[in-house]
Amino acid sequence: MNRRHAALLLALPLAAWAQEAPSWKFSGYGTVGVAHSDNRQADYLIDEFKPNGPGYTRSWSPDVDSRLGLQLSAQFTPTLSAVVQVLSKQDENNSYRPELEWANVRWQPTPEFSLRAGRIVLPVFMVTDTRWVGYSNPWVRPPVEMYAMVPVSHNDGVDASYRLELGSAANTFQLTAGTWKHDFPTATGYGGGTAKARDIVAFIDTLETGPLSLRLSLGRANLEIPQFSQFTDAFAAFGPLGQGLADRYFPSTMRLRYVGLGATYDPGRWFAMGEWGRFDTRSILGTKVAWYGSAGYRLGKFTPYVSYARASVDSPTSDPGIPLTGLPPPIAAGAAALNGALNQTLNLLPRQRTVSVGARWDFAKNAALKVQYDHVDLDAGSTGTFGNIQPGFQPGGRVGIFSAVVDFVF
Amino acid sequence: MNAMQLKRFLAGLALAGVSWSAVAQDVVPVVGAKSPIASLDAAQVADIFLGKTSRFPDGSIALPVDQQEESPLRERFYAQFAGKSPAQVKAYWSKIIFTGRGQPPRQAADSIEVKRIVTNNPHAIGYIDASQVDASVRVLAAR
Repeated sequence: MNRRHAALLLALPLAAWAQEAPSWKFSGYGTVGVAHSDNRQADYLIDEFKPNGPGYTRSWSPDVDSRLGLQLSAQFTPTLSAVVQVLSKQDENNSYRPELEWANVRWQPTPEFSLRAGRIVLPVFMVTDTRWVGYSNPWVRPPVEMYAMVPVSHNDGVDASYRLELGSAANTFQLTAGTWKHDFPTATGYGGGTAKARDIVAFIDTLETGPLSLRLSLGRANLEIPQFSQFTDAFAAFGPLGQGLADRYFPSTMRLRYVGLGATYDPGRWFAMGEWGRFDTRSILGTKVAWYGSAGYRLGKFTPYVSYARASVDSPTSDPGIPLTGLPPPIAAGAAALNGALNQTLNLLPRQRTVSVGARWDFAKNAALKVQYDHVDLDAGSTGTFGNIQPGFQPGGRVGIFSAVVDFVF
Repeated sequence: MNAMQLKRFLAGLALAGVSWSAVAQDVVPVVGAKSPIASLDAAQVADIFLGKTSRFPDGSIALPVDQQEESPLRERFYAQFAGKSPAQVKAYWSKIIFTGRGQPPRQAADSIEVKRIVTNNPHAIGYIDASQVDASVRVLAAR
């Protein structure tokens, strides 16, 4: 019997199973929430795409967590399906314009093997792919230290997944390749324009056995931020040393690398999980390292939890820049301004730790209420993951964030 | 329950072919009487219903049939076999549905439909209350 026959035989019981083809399913998820910061001198931002948040812009903000996702999935034949998901959340233009999160076609000739093509989420870390599906996660939101780290969210391309069952354990390999692009408004630190990530290749291996799940994730991409060229040119004007700085901090193509290791243990009554990741950009965006640990205990419909998360930087957060000695005064002033901008940007690389305590209450069949308090402790001199920093903000200080959300699915 | 009622109850159980151990077990996983599958352990049953595997241990395709979401039987089944509350099961499937990786098991209207499906499809596996077991289905022995 050749392989094709084997696949057909496998499909037979599934074909008999399909009630009617094609079948369509409409579903959705969402969160309604507010977050409050006790520091009015900066905004609490959960990633680089958020234009504002609680703190400076407003004391209480609904924009941190509120969102709505709608999904349509279709099963055309027993082996061919498709999914389209649209997500509305606060974007960098401060609007809730819906974006196409995923749109892909999936071919699954056997239960263990699948191929997808289209817009696919790039599952960088353990909960990247369910980051916005609040209902599926224990917390109000995944630890910012880890999940603000890699700004690339989805991938236009292909992915292949293969599950190997080894007795009571299952190992899933996933390989993804594609491209990503993102339009930045001029108001952001990126200076407007379209950032493009090409040659994205990611590999994920997940081993599950009973309540234990282990995950390894490796990825690379080439990122271009066209607005960087103005800095490249500015530094390059200062001779070989300036050129060296331009190459180090503003390469025309940034070679991104990341690695993530994660583990979850969930026997039912309680859970514990931890994750470590490193994101290397070889550019002004630095080399970031983050990890967190989290645990919770289920008491009926209540699940209290605690988390500790740490973000640090494994690359310089300051640079002497262009030597000013011997430069004619007007040129020295220009060089000093460039050095200042370089160091200001390097110092934005987040270094902070957060202790979170919270609880989830599954008060209805499809909905959960969560409250969470985050105690954010910034490293000396760092403004952490905060944005819209005002002159009165104390780098290295402490900030308290209170959040309350209702997550739902339908 | 007086002696007479107890006697009638026991007779009823005997008629239904139910053993005391099954009554104590309450909710039982079933396949069709003609299915080659005879036994599974609780973790294997849970893996099939949670989509962690698509096959029985002998390699044949397994097609799980769920009870209705509001059914207390379903709540007892997931508590007993997977150690998960209804909210945990829903959160688990939310992860899979909204990442486009799959859909939860097909739902039958009631235990009668579960029995009809497993009787007609040798790949199907369901669960019913032990009191509803009859000759059309086989209760999977715990390993």
